[in-house]
Amino acid sequence: MDTIIGYLNNMFASLPGTEQMMKLKQELLGNMEEKYYELKSEGKSENEAVGIVISEFGNIDELISELGLEEAHKDPGQRLPMLDEFVVEDFIAAKRRSGLLTGLGTFLIMLGASLLIFSTGLAENGFMDSVFSEDAMTMLGLVALFLLLVPAIAIFMYSGRKMEKFKYLESAEFTLPYPLEAYIEQRQSAFAATYTLSLIMGVCLCVLSPVIIFVATAFGDEYSSYGAAVLLDVVAVAVFLFVYYGSIRGAYQILLKSGDVSGK
Amino acid sequence: MISSDVIRGYNDTMILYMLLDGESYGYEISKNIRKLSEEKYIMKETTLYSAFARLEKNGYIDSFYLDETFGKRRTYYRITPLGLAYYRAKCEEWQVTQEVINQFIKEL
Repeated sequence: MDTIIGYLNNMFASLPGTEQMMKLKQELLGNMEEKYYELKSEGKSENEAVGIVISEFGNIDELISELGLEEAHKDPGQRLPMLDEFVVEDFIAAKRRSGLLTGLGTFLIMLGASLLIFSTGLAENGFMDSVFSEDAMTMLGLVALFLLLVPAIAIFMYSGRKMEKFKYLESAEFTLPYPLEAYIEQRQSAFAATYTLSLIMGVCLCVLSPVIIFVATAFGDEYSSYGAAVLLDVVAVAVFLFVYYGSIRGAYQILLKSGDVSGK
Repeated sequence: MISSDVIRGYNDTMILYMLLDGESYGYEISKNIRKLSEEKYIMKETTLYSAFARLEKNGYIDSFYLDETFGKRRTYYRITPLGLAYYRAKCEEWQVTQEVINQFIKEL
């Protein structure tokens, strides 16, 4: 039976992975399977059964011409590059990495802002008066912000460059062989639960973050700026979750979007 | 085995005939065609599915899903009134074709 599946996969490999094609392939597979098992139950050997089923498959060109796919099939100038599993794996890994880096960069910037608020708060409350003046504290906060801003910008530029070679994917200029598409869909649905969880966590963090300010203010008005600083950190974590998991999800969406595009 | 060239114009007619008594699906149709032709004609998978696509496009058949046991899903086909009219026309055409060709056939 594996031989038959392999044969059919081969026949469909160069055809667009549209829904119509997938259905047709499933139908053909179902027929061939039924024929195969019937032949086996009639006492045919494995080889005989597979041989008969394949010899009675016919000519794929007949289907192509009936379904009006000749143009996509025969005109190589018009055809979009076909992705293989290496490119796909590469792209998913790159998107994951770029999500991690972009998320980290955003996190660093928000951390810097939170440090600035924190140090300003310290200065206003006069906690550090024995060591630094109020202005010096604000300056220190600004320095921290810029120190974090620089690596963040470097990270953005680096990850942007890394993604450049995948630009053609973003504009959906490619086709996917059907087995690969099915594989990606499988991966996507496996990832869906993780994504939903990250979304829920991020949203919960955002919704709960103002509580920190209320709590801080309860200890006294002078603590409210610390509360704001911590709030920013919590939101930064949530933003990181959104960016990181959103990027992975984006990888699957970009890859699978090809279905509708190549289907025309 | 008959060459598929000779029969080409009547593949659709054979499939429509198989649907006259009610809905059916791909493998059942091809199996019945083989049986009825006493194994002299075997319709290839691609021929069958090209015909389905053509017939459905012309509105001669329509298709629907039916779930089998064990969760298998099959596409079933049934003939439409338009398809029935087409079938009758093809039958008449065949009568004439047969009469004409027969004029040129003799035992030697």
